[in-house]
Amino acid sequence: MNEEEKTQQNLIAFKPMLETMNKKGIAVIVFLLLVICFGLYCLYIQVADGHIVTGMRDNVVWGLYIVNFIFFIGISYAGALISGILHLLRVPWRTPIIRMAEVITVISTMIGPTYILLCIGRLDRLPNLILFGRIQSPIIWDVIAITTYLSGSIIFLYLAMIRDLAILRDNPVTVAKWRNPIYRFLSVRYKDTTKQKELLNLSTDLLSIVIIPLAILVHSVLAWIFGMTLRPGWHSTIFAPYFVVAAVYSGTGVLIMVMWVFRKIYHLESQITKIHFNYLGMIMIILGALYGYFTFSEYLTSWYGSIKWDMDVLYRLFSPDEYLLQFIFAAFLGVLVPIIIVTVPKFRNINSIAVAATIAVAAMWVKRYLIIIPTLESPLLPLHDLRPEYAQYSATWVEWGLTFAGIAMFILLFYLFSKFIPILPVVRTGEEKDYSRLRKIVFEKQMKQVIREKKKSDTVVTGLLILLLMSPFTSAFSQEGNELQTVLKLEYFHIDSTQKLTATLRSKESGKFSPVEGMEITFKYKKGDTETALGTASTNKKGKGSVEIPGEILTSGGDKGIYSFEATFAGKDKYPAASGETSIKPLRLEMSFNQQEADKVANLKAFELDASNNWVPVENLDIQFYVPRTFSLMNVGKSSFVNGLTSIEFPTSVPGNQLGYLTLLAKIEDNEQYGNVEVSGTINWGKPLPPANIIERGLGDTDAPLWMVYTLIVLLSLVWFHYMYVIFTVFRIRHLGKS
Amino acid sequence: MCQNCRKRVPRLKIYQGRFDKLNKRTSGTMKHNSSNRRNFLKLGIAAGATALIAGGGSALSAIGEPENKETGEKIKLLTPDGKLVEVDKGHVCCQPAGNLEAREGLPNKKMVMVIDLAKCRNARKCLEGCQKMHFLPPQMEWIKFYLLRESEDQAPYWFPKPCLHCNNPPCVKVCPVGATFKRTDGIVLIDNDRCIGCKFCMAACPYSSRVFNWEEPKIPDAANPGKYSPETSTPPKVGTVSKCDFCPDMVRKGELPSCVTSCPNGVIYYGDKNEDSVTNGTDTVRFSEMLYARAAYRYMEELGTEPSVYYLPPVDRAFDYKEGFEGLSEEEIALYKKEARITE
Repeated sequence: MNEEEKTQQNLIAFKPMLETMNKKGIAVIVFLLLVICFGLYCLYIQVADGHIVTGMRDNVVWGLYIVNFIFFIGISYAGALISGILHLLRVPWRTPIIRMAEVITVISTMIGPTYILLCIGRLDRLPNLILFGRIQSPIIWDVIAITTYLSGSIIFLYLAMIRDLAILRDNPVTVAKWRNPIYRFLSVRYKDTTKQKELLNLSTDLLSIVIIPLAILVHSVLAWIFGMTLRPGWHSTIFAPYFVVAAVYSGTGVLIMVMWVFRKIYHLESQITKIHFNYLGMIMIILGALYGYFTFSEYLTSWYGSIKWDMDVLYRLFSPDEYLLQFIFAAFLGVLVPIIIVTVPKFRNINSIAVAATIAVAAMWVKRYLIIIPTLESPLLPLHDLRPEYAQYSATWVEWGLTFAGIAMFILLFYLFSKFIPILPVVRTGEEKDYSRLRKIVFEKQMKQVIREKKKSDTVVTGLLILLLMSPFTSAFSQEGNELQTVLKLEYFHIDSTQKLTATLRSKESGKFSPVEGMEITFKYKKGDTETALGTASTNKKGKGSVEIPGEILTSGGDKGIYSFEATFAGKDKYPAASGETSIKPLRLEMSFNQQEADKVANLKAFELDASNNWVPVENLDIQFYVPRTFSLMNVGKSSFVNGLTSIEFPTSVPGNQLGYLTLLAKIEDNEQYGNVEVSGTINWGKPLPPANIIERGLGDTDAPLWMVYTLIVLLSLVWFHYMYVIFTVFRIRHLGKS
Repeated sequence: MCQNCRKRVPRLKIYQGRFDKLNKRTSGTMKHNSSNRRNFLKLGIAAGATALIAGGGSALSAIGEPENKETGEKIKLLTPDGKLVEVDKGHVCCQPAGNLEAREGLPNKKMVMVIDLAKCRNARKCLEGCQKMHFLPPQMEWIKFYLLRESEDQAPYWFPKPCLHCNNPPCVKVCPVGATFKRTDGIVLIDNDRCIGCKFCMAACPYSSRVFNWEEPKIPDAANPGKYSPETSTPPKVGTVSKCDFCPDMVRKGELPSCVTSCPNGVIYYGDKNEDSVTNGTDTVRFSEMLYARAAYRYMEELGTEPSVYYLPPVDRAFDYKEGFEGLSEEEIALYKKEARITE
């Protein structure tokens, strides 16, 4: 039988798949749609009520969604690795299963990322990923890798379909004829000429070479989301290969399941034979064994090292109350049972291999659950939360609903796809020739395209920035109570050359003081019976009001050298009247700096004004020295005046400003005689601030390290160059079909 | 913040937020019509001036955006070349920065916190103050309290833990959109207008410092969080991550964060490492001397996260750990005892 006859035979065999739909099929579709509708309802609930409806909380921040995300991306391996590798190795039995594998890839790569979207609190801000994307973040690696991978998988699937689309164009379907123009369009005038054949084979080979490392990278990146964190059970160097192996394992399993299902529903017994199941089963158990080896290595290492945090996670996994059963299933049964079924000839048949595959796939799902949840439930610090839902994760019906909706979506899309184009390739070809060489580079065109896309997305996002404005209003401070008292404290301040009176008005209620704002205080100077008004001031937030004392008053001699002041509050609203008094003796402080060789000294002189208006040196007065800091004054020493003189060593080790300028403050506080007196001086004797050290590139900075940028550019351009070349080839095939 | 200033900043350029460029851009926006502001700038005080008040007993920073209103209260500022100038407080006292400016950090500052474990008795007043200041619901804890005990032979001690504001923050590294960022002043903030809520930072934080707004935050009508700023972290936004923000808005005003002032035992010290000074509101001490004298340590230094929060070991304790159980529910006490493996 030559190739053409085979193709015709296949067409006759497969066409009913596209043209008939039995009642069972419709029932399945309706059921799947119902499940998806329920999923959409769950999604609505989650969007409307917030993520509170899920089982995720502050400790277990990721749940089923991320599990499903890894799971679906994992099974997408079926297409990439299985079909890519089988294609490159020219494995003769691959033809009937290769399309199923590729469809698994495309559909699961579309469904997988949907789950990560479900995990995101603010879907309305997704454009930020493009606007503000930081390539230091593994999430951005994921976004880039998955979009690239999905594009590649779609192109790969499409290339493999072109021959069949051409056949369908030449033999139009009789039911649902609207499909015929689509076949015509997608078949790009493919007429199986030698030149067209050569081009198609070349680009298929090229893409299968690209898609294999890309697939490995995608799953490594996924593993790195976890591996890059400092979490026990995640922060492991083998995580990337571990994820890759687990992914191919589950991908092969899903492929076997899909084969089994389509073999049953479309009666493909003659096409998909025991050989396919046996060979794929072998591949699966080899991967299973590899996965088992990685699992053993991972847990043995952390158990042997027994770091406290690693042990916390291990205890959870090994504890019968928590995850022991799941762990046994995922780590032992999920590996051993498939191996036994496939290796022992007695157990090995099509149905049992399908069962083995199902066990493997289920085990891989549970394994992903065991990777995510127990680690999140074991934070480095004790998980201290009284709310049980915060301490332990349990998925809610919303999460389960969306999980089943995803599975239903997968089955539905697969089923519908099999109605669009035969799930088995119609055209059978002999072994293709190896591809020759690459042709023109369309690099410039590709770059232009990328830039255009970016510009487009920028404008879309401009409108999405949200500014939350809340109308400001002020609430007046008020206090009620029967025993309301007011207390007025009057203090004298002599700061450098200004002298002022500050009154603090506070209300006292059941022993608690609070400042009173916006009250008028009247200040007076008293000498014997005569009173001189000094003005009024309104209290601020802290209940303080101040007036300056005119210089002439403080040199008028006072009452034998003593000056008395009074502040009164007349009472307002519920606040009763209050008054306060203070008496002081004027004190003058003078600060000077003196450097003798290495000694840097601050000298201070103090004089008081005696009754006859003469400044005389002060004796035995204690004084404190401070330097002002952001929040408060920091004490740097104290001393006592002897004959009106004192000095301290300048605190040269205290940081000043950039040039080392530092203010030194000498202060007498709440002195019975002198009130509050302070003087300050500034000199560049402090420690200069170190120059600001701004690192512009780094993992924690705005811009990524250069090596990262270059790596990304090189990798992306390599891959996209290949895509562009393949797309270009498709257009050439179309062009060649004209003549 | 001044409306004129806001308009001049191209919002879409935010992703190019390199600090130097940002500086140029924001200083380019200072030419607006406020004469007060202009006069203030003529004094030669750039936004980066170190400042002080020589009166009243409290220091203040002249940084950020001025409120542009006269308060009548004069303060003294120290210019970089050591001159003292007197300006109105309203010109320097700052409002919290906008989303873009908040990425910059207060110039010449490096905020640090020192927590004295010897004085903590789990009174939780710091949390109360924090929740009041940030309009947080009671379950949302930006400061968490642990009863730690390294092994069964060692003593249990109370361990309050705010965000540690790491110098090598794992959370900032993994953020896909730069919504959480490390500033030049050492503070790690979150821009809740940019956060997409992927929670990767929460998974990456080894200290469980971050919390998520799982549902629409309820703020009592009487409370007024004002306009959103990453520096105040209020009002909180649903579907985004929040955490202790080290209160940079308070630093701008020269005031201490609420956790520091509400602690009855003066456990928490806060300050600027560049000034070599921390204060708990009543005591102001040399930062370096305190760390040296008390053999301070940083929690889980071995992770390489380089926290900005230092702990003073719980030696010569002022309280027995049991006093920390006061006011807690039976259930919570049991949980603490279980965590600390206390059997009695």
